[in-house]
This record gives sequence, structure tokens and C-alpha cells, in this order.
Amino acid sequence: MPSDILLGVDNLGVAASIGGRSKVVLDNISFAVSRRETFGIIGRSGSGKSVLAKALIGWLDPALSVTGGAVSFDGVDMVGADAAQLRAIRGRRIGYVGADPTTVFDPTIPIGRQIAEKLRAVRPEVGHKEALDRVVELFETVRIPDARLRAGELPSKFSGGMIQRAAIVDAMIGGTELLIADNVTQPLDVTVAAQIIRLFQMLRNEVNTAILFISSSLPMVKNIADRLVVLEEGRVVERSTPERLAAHPETAYSQALIAQIPRIWSREMAHPAVKADAATVLSVQDVKRNYRVRNQRSLFGSVSIQAVRGVSFDVKSGESLGIVGESGCGKSTLLRLLTWLDMPDAGRISFDGVDLGKMSRNDRFHLRARLQLVLQDPYGSIPAHWTVGRIISEPLRLHRSMLASERRTRVTDTMVEVGLDPGLYSKLPVGLSAGQRQRINLARALVLEPAILLLDETLSALDQTEQTRLIALFERLQSARGITYLFISHDLAMVRRVCSRVAVMYLGKIVELVSNEMLFFAPQHPYTKALLSAAPTLEESPYARDDYLVEGEPPSPLLIPAGCSFANRCPQALPVCRQQEPPVHHLPQGGIVACHLAGEDRVT
Amino acid sequence: MVRVTSFLLRRLAQSVVIVLLASLIVFCLLRTGPGNPARMIAGGMATEETVEKIATEMGLRSPMLVQYFIYLKKVVLHGDFGTSFVRPKSGASAVAGGRADDPTRAERARVIDLILDRLPLTLQLAMMAMAIALSVSIPIGLFAGLHAGRWPDAAALMLSSVLVSMPNFWLAGILVLVVSIQLHWLPAVGYRDVTYSILPAIVLAIEIIPVLVRSLALSLGAMMSQNFVRIGLIRGLHPSQVIYHHAMKGASVPLLNMLGVQLSALLGGVLVVEYIFDYPGLGALTIEAVLQRDFPLIQAIAMLTSAIFVVINILVDLLAGLIDPRLEY
Amino acid sequence: MTVIDADFSEALVADEKELSVARRIWLETRKSPWFTVGLGLFVVLVLGAFLYPLLSGADPQVMHFREKLLPPAFAGGSWAYPLGTDQLGRDMLSRSLVGLQISFLLALAAVVLTFAVGAAIGLYSGFHGGLTDQLLMRVVDVQLSIPPIILAITILGVTRPTPALVVLVLTLAGWPTYARVTRAAALGEREREYVRAARVLGASDLRILGLLIAPVVLPPLAFAAVLDLARLMIFEATLDFLGLGLQPPTPTLGTIIADGRKYLMNAWWVASLPGVFLIVVLLAVNMMGVALERARNRVLGGL
Repeated sequence: MPSDILLGVDNLGVAASIGGRSKVVLDNISFAVSRRETFGIIGRSGSGKSVLAKALIGWLDPALSVTGGAVSFDGVDMVGADAAQLRAIRGRRIGYVGADPTTVFDPTIPIGRQIAEKLRAVRPEVGHKEALDRVVELFETVRIPDARLRAGELPSKFSGGMIQRAAIVDAMIGGTELLIADNVTQPLDVTVAAQIIRLFQMLRNEVNTAILFISSSLPMVKNIADRLVVLEEGRVVERSTPERLAAHPETAYSQALIAQIPRIWSREMAHPAVKADAATVLSVQDVKRNYRVRNQRSLFGSVSIQAVRGVSFDVKSGESLGIVGESGCGKSTLLRLLTWLDMPDAGRISFDGVDLGKMSRNDRFHLRARLQLVLQDPYGSIPAHWTVGRIISEPLRLHRSMLASERRTRVTDTMVEVGLDPGLYSKLPVGLSAGQRQRINLARALVLEPAILLLDETLSALDQTEQTRLIALFERLQSARGITYLFISHDLAMVRRVCSRVAVMYLGKIVELVSNEMLFFAPQHPYTKALLSAAPTLEESPYARDDYLVEGEPPSPLLIPAGCSFANRCPQALPVCRQQEPPVHHLPQGGIVACHLAGEDRVT
Repeated sequence: MVRVTSFLLRRLAQSVVIVLLASLIVFCLLRTGPGNPARMIAGGMATEETVEKIATEMGLRSPMLVQYFIYLKKVVLHGDFGTSFVRPKSGASAVAGGRADDPTRAERARVIDLILDRLPLTLQLAMMAMAIALSVSIPIGLFAGLHAGRWPDAAALMLSSVLVSMPNFWLAGILVLVVSIQLHWLPAVGYRDVTYSILPAIVLAIEIIPVLVRSLALSLGAMMSQNFVRIGLIRGLHPSQVIYHHAMKGASVPLLNMLGVQLSALLGGVLVVEYIFDYPGLGALTIEAVLQRDFPLIQAIAMLTSAIFVVINILVDLLAGLIDPRLEY
Repeated sequence: MTVIDADFSEALVADEKELSVARRIWLETRKSPWFTVGLGLFVVLVLGAFLYPLLSGADPQVMHFREKLLPPAFAGGSWAYPLGTDQLGRDMLSRSLVGLQISFLLALAAVVLTFAVGAAIGLYSGFHGGLTDQLLMRVVDVQLSIPPIILAITILGVTRPTPALVVLVLTLAGWPTYARVTRAAALGEREREYVRAARVLGASDLRILGLLIAPVVLPPLAFAAVLDLARLMIFEATLDFLGLGLQPPTPTLGTIIADGRKYLMNAWWVASLPGVFLIVVLLAVNMMGVALERARNRVLGGL
């Protein structure tokens, strides 16, 4: 049915030229999207998929140009179209949603007004008030709560998930025939990303729009696309359907892609065992931290942000404890407290049984040598103007007095240990890969032979292969030196592989702290279940999204409601949940959960 | 509205403190420098005792802070900025120091009158200069900003580099020579009617134009590369909507800030330009006051200028906050 | 690289993105013809200003009462006085060049001092934060609220100006801006991950400031400071012109032009030619500034 084809891409080629160099970015791309079809494009970052999305709507960067082939949208040649032709199509018949929704809107104008402005630009017959009503109506459709109120707010008041919904409304409001969604879930937390995917499923079923869904992650595309192509280095390497690709990837590239998708339930994990009888290295008892910010609505007033609201846990020597949670759950503040960059308002943190708050400045300084931190960003966390050797030797210069030659030996030994070429000693970090940089980071933390290592999303910037290597290194170090790890992460699959126990944080509190097996196979807290249901895997999750995924977003830490802070999103909330803070239950199998539904008598 | 009121109250309170501190600094500087005001009053022929007597009468022998508070008390309670050391009440010519028991001393001009007398002419000059500067720099800046990285941008940068490199006193001389002396198009010296403001205003405008052009071209250029502007066309907006509703709106905030900053440059320029053109405004009054070591006058002018500066900056922030509601009040 | 999309920049610009921003701006600046021309003009004029009076033997102070107000060589005068003579029969070329020297040296001293004071206060304030920061920034506000010219008048107008006092005035007028800019940069840098890493290691504030933050924050600022030379040279000349700067017989550009104004009708060169020297030097500096600005836009804004 050729007439049914809405978007046809035929042998499309795009090349880049920068400073006289020319590079093929897209080569010989062909595919067709039918009306009302959802078509997927997957590929790693750098595969050219974003360039492809922009080439389709004639929005290439000046340094890029179409070198051949054709893009036709309902018979209109999009490559050769002039400005007037494009204006008749873009925003009106083709909607585009990108990976960074926070930059789509003018930051100085309320979002509702901007979307109404857009609607009136593409449909001049719509009246002003009518346009605004339509925006509110669509806000409700995409489940933006308090739609009318939100429409009057500035973009900066929207969370990432909400603004992505608004951007989708903006792209659809003109009565779009084709919606191009380029990596829309990339910047979002897992549960929010899962909500957006659910929204796309709804759009697909209820709206007569074709969707071109571009993503780097097959699990994201899986539940949406009818057909898909796999892009690698600017070429289409495989055409398939999500199911077929997941089950029988044909090309080596697709196989590698599938193999990299983390598994949580289907693979046997040899994660470290819980060490019940080991000594406690780090103990956190009912720690709280509030920050005061100026209140704009009054003359001198300020309001309090409750970042950490009473967190307790012990870390045993030689174990690996994971702390998971989404943005705003208080992980970062907790980390600041654990590294003594900030002091708790209440509660105590003790190291080897000694209260940090009662320690002298000098003692705390010496203790720093025993507790080290490896940060997330492999680029930002090392000074670019220092040589690798200088970076790694800095802890020794601070904490150990030794001869320069001794120091050098220690540094090169550590470099070898973490898998860095000692030849890099006098090089600047410029040009090193993320993996190498993360090893520098790790070497800097290890050179003092600390007892405990805090890892803040340390692996999240690395690809799967590099992650696997570093995890092996962690395990080796743990068995050789008995190092204790504290992994702080949002990545459930990573935590599943490395941690013996896992704590789940929500809005400044630990809602569940249990063993690895318990967390993934018998979670108690509804939030844990929601997290598990949202995890992007290809496996059949025991926690189906339809049953466990929650709507909405956490309340603002400025205004935490009474009762359980999860109650407003919890599908099983009881009246008591909205009145009383849930007690902490000690589970018979070990571990704790803070939920009214999970009392001793209710454990299922 | 609570937000705006709270902002205004807070900023005004801050400003009062700032102006007071600034005037204290000027007060101290004036009194620690050489040049004895009592001697100026008494005249060169007076004896040391007479000078000393006058100094004590004037309160010059009290501690500095006490002097300042006495001065401040008069200013705040009675709006009394004191009287000029040298100028008689009628104002026309300076008294070059009289006898110690000069009966006309009480008749010396009040500083506030001297300033109010000159202020309108200076305001007229400043506003004319601002009007010329804005009407020239906005079109050029917009054109350059819309074509960032291409020839109009480069041309505007070149133009502003040339203009910014010309000292105002030099330019004033050249303009007087060419426009006034050679071509007889405009009068240059003194003040009789509004045409006497034009040439000085042009010199002042030329001093501000390059800064405004550059600021506007840069901020508009930066706006045009913002994603929300670039994506406007993809969203289906008309190019003119994108430029006028979004890009220019965003670019106007930095321009506004720049205008606020330029004000202090304008104050300096007014001084020089009025001096050159013998234009009887506040600037010329300031120079005369310096030459005559007329401390009360200098002091009051300094206080006034820093107050104007601070108030204009509050207004700029207020306006910027209206344009971009994200800005914190 | 916000403009070029993520996919594309990763593919092409991967090797460049790790160079520090300052370094990339500098490399980009050097490529610009504006920079080459500006630097060339600047070097030639400044060298000329220092060498010509030495080599030609023309004395800017010697008066030739029979040769007053002679026109420049290109306007009918003789080559003995290439740019003519002033009202006292002094050689205009050597006077202008010595004036340029003085203006340059005073502005240079002021730039160095401004940078040192502003950067030190800004670094400390931005890094330290808290009450100290608040206080220092209020000092900046106060200083900014006194227009430089008023400050100059109150300091120089009531006393006999010396080079040191002139430099002091120029510095007082300039440091608050530097303090603000440095503070903002230091404040941004303070929150960076590598600083956090150093803190967790137990590095002292001074160590972090000196070894980590200053080397990142100061180079771009130092470059901007060089360009500020133009602004300060104009300011210095203005002070001279108003009689607030160095006093005669020292030949300064401002005083030469001020004196020459009396002879505008019959000897236009006295008031105008010294200004041309100043303008060309300023233009040269400003052209380098333009090159820097454009390079910065290209690197940061992707224009």
C-alpha cells in the first residue's frame, strides 16, 4: 500500500565538514513509516540517530549537509523544500520532541502561553482563549496534575518529567500526523522514564499519529514500536521487530547491543554475601540535614528544605552496601554528610565506633585517609591541568611524608593495580577515555589504602564492557584487602551485581534496607516495587508496570505532607498512611522496611 | 506584589547604606587631603589665628566621624548640604576669598541651590545623549546580532572598536573644529538654547554607542543560538515571532544591565564634555568646585551621583525582573 | 557544544573537548586576523614610543621660541619636526611619543595592580563564601557607587598628583569589576567535582585555591586584563586633560591636547595628532579584544 506511507527515507546520506575535514555521518539510510505506525530507531550514542532525526525535518547543523538520497513526507521532498514549504509542515504536521526538554521553552514565559502561541501560529483560526483551553485539556491528557495552574507557570518550575510531557503536548497540539521522539527518556529517572513510555503507549493506541521513536535503549523501544531499524556508525545494520531483535539478533552489532542490556532476575548473580558478624566500620544513626533558603514571598523569611530526614544504617567491614534512589531522594546530601563536607543537624555518624562530631579537626583529617570517595563524572572530577602522576600522588602529599622516589613507586604501583599504563605518569589527562579517567579517580582513592570506599555513581558514565572490568577490579580489591564499599547509584542492575545489601531512599529517608536477594525477589515497600517495575531490562519483570508503576512525582522537600511521604503516589495507600509516619519494621528475614502495609503480620 | 515590595524595601535599605558609606569615604578623602578649607575662606592674607578660628568655627578641628555625623544630620534632618566655601548667593562669579569678617559670608550660596540650578541642563544633555545613543545602537546591534558570526557582526564590531578607541576630549575638539568652526552647523561653546546641547550630546553618545552595540549584538547573537530560539521554527512558530517575542526579549535583559553600568561612564563623560564645551551643567560645576577646592559642593555632588547610580541600578534590576520573572528579586 | 547535537560532537570533536576552555579560546583567538593586526600595530607603536625619543635625539622639553606652531611635514612643514611644533616650539612627535609612553606605563601599572587586588579579593570571596563574601561584595558595591571620575577628583583634585596617586586612582576605579568577575568564576569552580574530591582528601582551603582554582580561573581573566589597558589609557589621558593627572612640564597626551585646544583655529595639529597615536594604540588593543570575544563566542556558544 504505497499510499499509506507517510514518511519515506531513501538512500539518505549526510556528511559533516569541520575545518576542512569531511566525515560521513549517515550513509545510505532507507526506511519507511506508514500512517499511524510506531517505528523505532535504536543505536548507541554516536551512531548518528539524532542527526537522522534532524535531517528528516530539515534542521541540520550548518556544518552538516545532505549528500544524497531523499526524504519525502506525504509526497513533499523535505530535503529540497523551501522555507515556506517547511513552515507548512514543521510544527503543524510533524512534531519533534528532543532529549533536552528543558531548553525547548523560553524560560521567561509561562509554558501554557508558549504552547498556545505555537498552536495559534500553526492554526491561526484558533482563538486566544480557545488555544489556552486546548493546552489545559491536553495537559490533563498527558497527566500533568493541576493542569490549569501548571499552564501558568514558568518552565523552570517544571520537573524533568513534567516538562517532557509539556514538550510532547507542544509537539502534538497542531494535530500532528508524525511525531518524532528523539531520545525522550534519556535525561529522566527510571520511574519517570517508564511513565513517559507509558504515555507514548497511550498516544499510540488512542491518537491517530505515526510515531518515530528514537532511543539508545531497546527496552525503551520494546513496548512501543511495531518495527525498528538498528543504526551503527551511520548505517542501518538490521531491520527487525522488537521481539525478533530481542530474541534473535542477527548481526554481531545487534548481538553485542542485546548482550549489554543489564539483567536483573534471569542471571545467577554471585554477589557478595551479607556479613552479619563482621565489625561495624561506619555507623549512621538518625541523621538529619535541613537547608535554609530565602523565601521570595516574604521580606526576611526563609524556608527549610529537608534533604535528609532521619537516616540510619550500619556498614559492616568488608561488605558492599548499595544506596539507591532517584533524583532528589537525598543521596547527594547523605554523601556530603558521610564525607564530612557537611555536618548533620541531628544524629551521629561514627567511624570505627568514634563519633565524628566529637572528633578534633586534626583527627578528622587523619581519618580521611581511611575513607575515600570516587565520584561520578570522569571529566569533572580530576583537575585537567595536573599530570596523572600529580593527581594520584596528591593524597600521599597530604597524608604521608615520604621521599619523592617512594611516592612515585607507590603511585605507579597503584596505577598498575587499577589497570593504568604507568607510562601515563607524566601525561596530562587530555585525550584519555572515560574508563581511563575513572581509573585515575579510583587510583587516587586507593593510593592511601583506605578501609572504606564511597562510590558515587562511579560506573554510570561508563559503557557496559568497562563497567564489567571495573566491577571485577572491585571484587579483586575486596578479597585482597577487605575493602568495604558503599555504592550510591540509581542503577538497579549494577547494584544487583555488586551489593550484598541495598537501601532504597525516598525523599530523604530509607524506606527499605534488605539483602540483595530480598530486594529483587521479595521487595516489601511499594516504592521498591515501582522502581523494579520501571527498570529497563528485556526480561519478563516479576513486577509488571501496569501493576506496580506509580504515577506522579515525589512531593517537594519544601512541603512534605504529613504521614508517609510516599502516600500521594502509593497505589495501596490506606487512610493511616496519610496521617502517621510509618514505623520501621524489622523483617524476620533480616532487614527493615518503613511502611504501614508491611508490618510483621502483613509480610507476604 | 509582595515579592516586588520586599525587593524594593530590601534594595532601598541596602542603597541607603551604600550611599552613606560612599559619602563617608569621599568626606574623609576630602578632609585628609592637603588644601585647608579654612585658609581658602580666610584668604591668603589672613593670619594663622584667624584661619584657626575659622577652622574651629567650621568644626574642622573635631574628629572626622563627628564632623561627618554633624554634616549628615544637617543633610538628613534639614536637607541642608551646607553652603559653598566660595560662591556668593547670586551665583554669577566666585568670591576669591574675602576678609575674615567678611559680612557676605552668610550670603554664600547654598550648595543645594547651586546643584538644582545646574541639574536640569545636565539632565537635558544626558537624556539627549541617551536618545541619540539608543536610536543609533539598537538598529545596528540588532542587525549585527541577527547575523552573528557573519559580516554585519564583524562590521559592527569594527565600528564599535573604532568608536571606543576615541577619547571623548579628543573627539570633542575635532567636532568643534569641524562642525562648529569650519561648517558653522552647530554652536559649541556655552549655552543659550537647546541647540547648544546637541554637539556635547553627540560626543557623549559616541562614547556609549560602541558598548551598547557590542552588548546587544553579543546577547542577541547568544540568544539566537539558544535551543528554544532555534527550535522555534521546528515547533512551527513564525520567524518574526521567534525573533521579536523570544530572542529580543531575552537579549534586552543584558542590554538593560549594560545601560545601568554605562551610567557611571556617562557621568564621567558629562564632566569632561561640559568642561570642554563650557556647558553650564553639573559637570562644569564639579570641575569648578575642584579647582576652587569647594569641599561642600564636591561632597554634595559625590553623594548625589552615587545616589543616582544606586537608584538607576535598582530600576534596572526591577525592569529586568519584569522582563525575566526568573530573576530573583 | 550545545548547538551541534550530542551525537555529532562526540563523533567529531571528542579529542578537542577536553582541552581547557581557556586554552581553546586562546588557540581560536590566535587564528584570527584581527588579533594578528592588532598585536602587530600594538607592538610597533609601543616599541616606537620607547625607541624613537631615545634614537632620534629629539628632546620633548627643548623649546624653540622661533619655531612655534610649525605645521607637520606632510602639511607643509619641515622634516626637522615631522609632526610640527607646539606653542612653545617643542617637537610634537617626540612629545606625543613620550606622552604615549607615560600613558602606557601608568595604565600598565594600574592593570597589574587592579588584576592583583581584584583577583585576590574575588578568589577569596568566591571560595570562602559566607559572611566574609557578603561583606567584601558590599565593599565592592560601595566602591562601584562612587563614579571613578568623582573618586579621581576627590583624590587628585585636592592634592598634587604623582604617578603613584594616578595609578592608585586607576586601580580603585577598576578593582571592583575584577573582584566580581573572579568571584563568580571561583564560585562556579568551587562547586566542581574535582574540588570536592580534593576536599574529601582533606586538602586545605589555601591549597585548593592556589593549586586547583587559581590556575583555572585566572588565565582568562589575565587576558581580559591586558585588554583593559585600552580603557585605563583613556581614563589616564582624561585625567591629564582635566589637569588632574601628571603636571607640566611632563608631556602627557591629555595635557598636550588640552593645551592645543587653544590653538585649534590656527594650529589644528597640536590638539589632534597626539590623539591619533592614542587612538591607534587603543584600536590595536581593542582589535585583540574583538578577536578574543569572537573566539570565546565560537568556543562557548558554538557560533
